[in-house]
Amino acid sequence: MGDVSFLERLHNLQDTYGYIPEKEIVSLAEEYDVPKAKIFGVISFYSMLYTEPTGKFIVRVCDSLSCYLNESDDLVRAVKDYLGIGHGETTEDKRFTLEVVECLGYCGEGPVMMINDKVYTYVSEKKALNILSNCL
Amino acid sequence: MEEKILLKEGIDIDLKGRGGDTPPAEPNINEYDFFVLEEALNLDREEIIEQIKEAYLKGRGGAGFPTGLKWEMALAEEAEQKYMICNADEAETGTFKDRYLLENVPFKVLEGIIIGAYAIGAEQAYIYMRGEYARPRNVFSKAIEEAYKQGLLGEDILGSGFNLELRLIKGAGAYICGEETALLNSIEGKRGRSRTKPPYPIQKGLFDQPTAVNNVETLASCREIIRIGAKEYKSLGTKESRGTKLVCLSGDIWKPGVYEVEFGQVTIKEIVEEYGGGTRDDAQLKFIIPGGASTSILPAEKLDIPYCYETLAQAGSSVGSGAIIVVDDSHNLFDLMVTVSRFFMDETCGTCFPCKEGNRQVNHILNKVADKGGFSKEEVEIVKSIGRTIYLSARCGLGQTSLNFIYSILKNYPDEVLLGGDKHGKD
Repeated sequence: MGDVSFLERLHNLQDTYGYIPEKEIVSLAEEYDVPKAKIFGVISFYSMLYTEPTGKFIVRVCDSLSCYLNESDDLVRAVKDYLGIGHGETTEDKRFTLEVVECLGYCGEGPVMMINDKVYTYVSEKKALNILSNCL
Repeated sequence: MEEKILLKEGIDIDLKGRGGDTPPAEPNINEYDFFVLEEALNLDREEIIEQIKEAYLKGRGGAGFPTGLKWEMALAEEAEQKYMICNADEAETGTFKDRYLLENVPFKVLEGIIIGAYAIGAEQAYIYMRGEYARPRNVFSKAIEEAYKQGLLGEDILGSGFNLELRLIKGAGAYICGEETALLNSIEGKRGRSRTKPPYPIQKGLFDQPTAVNNVETLASCREIIRIGAKEYKSLGTKESRGTKLVCLSGDIWKPGVYEVEFGQVTIKEIVEEYGGGTRDDAQLKFIIPGGASTSILPAEKLDIPYCYETLAQAGSSVGSGAIIVVDDSHNLFDLMVTVSRFFMDETCGTCFPCKEGNRQVNHILNKVADKGGFSKEEVEIVKSIGRTIYLSARCGLGQTSLNFIYSILKNYPDEVLLGGDKHGKD
């Protein structure tokens, strides 16, 4: 909020808790002297910040044009089937959150999947299931 | 064909070979010579700007605004604090050249940022990098850290008396933040919504102070202009398109990757066939998108034109970010339209109602059209009308360009997308 460190603080909270809990939103609102809704509004604007708990692994699968041309729709389907959840959902055991996203910037190497901070390229369905089964 | 190498400097990435899982070695600051920076800091600010103006460099992020002019205006502004911002929020579908530069030649980008800040008289700089770019962020954070240790950032850089602080800001997942005014709001810790222009960032940018926002490739190119001199730089390319451009090849192509192209010297067809190795599996090339998902398509039969700003403009499209997406004839056009339309529906910032609601409605119509396998005449009219409304009323480039892809498909392939009885209704 009028502060170059604000976004970084939100990232830090996100990294600490896996989401930004309400108590932190309340204390940020007090500190910056703005309504709680304003802080919430900023958080909800950005797709990498969450106000609800996420899984230990956030799985992002790109479905933008360049990846789509490389059959990312098959990959998306395979990952959804394997995890048993849809876009924006978290598995019951809180291991995985799935996001079907727009462009991860590895368009020459599609289809592309990102798990937390790690990017995987040329992801076949088999490779994807292998990677996911190793996320413990 | 010979690649004119300025930006890539011999470093290449074999995309097929490394498959992304084993990234190239991290660049070492001790192996890099900062002589261009030293040379630049010995010049007057005006001299640097003169060089960039003479080189006729246009912004490489997509809009193509003359960089020298931007810097000249920023320098002329009187203010206690000015800012230089490197826009590394690369997120236009098909674009990965800035990531290439950040990962492989970070010091060249760093020099560009410092030179730009010096030229406009800014003592604070930021590089705003998209949140998904974890590896480039690690590489560049380290570059900044080491640069501070070696006296290339901070006080009295290389004994020049020039001070500069540089900080990396990590984005949080929003395509719109690559738009310069949305980016400013995001750095300020707000929602990344675009601002009304004027005032332009040059007059009232970050915290209402004069601010120059330049793309990664633009800043790296500025460094190259200082290195080889404006005269030599402008001898490359054509009258309206000087120098070189990084193009990103992706889609239905054998050899996707980042290639450096001298403007005007190769045709788009040659880029696709000779650099990219042509379409995969001997499928027929259907069309290309020359500059990312927000530019209009060019059908296969219109690709025999030199790659530069003027010919692409004449052909009704744009160089954009340099993302050439190659599409063969094996795809369903409706599915492609739905995919591109969903991108804009997801990524609109929601400030301008016609862009927010218009893109949602277009996506809705396209899904319906895809199900029944064709547009009715009325549906075409509705899409066109929504498109006109967005174009006239959206205040930033995202909205204004959001229907270029859909429009250009309708225009080029009416017989393939209109329902039987409505095919004669094309205009």
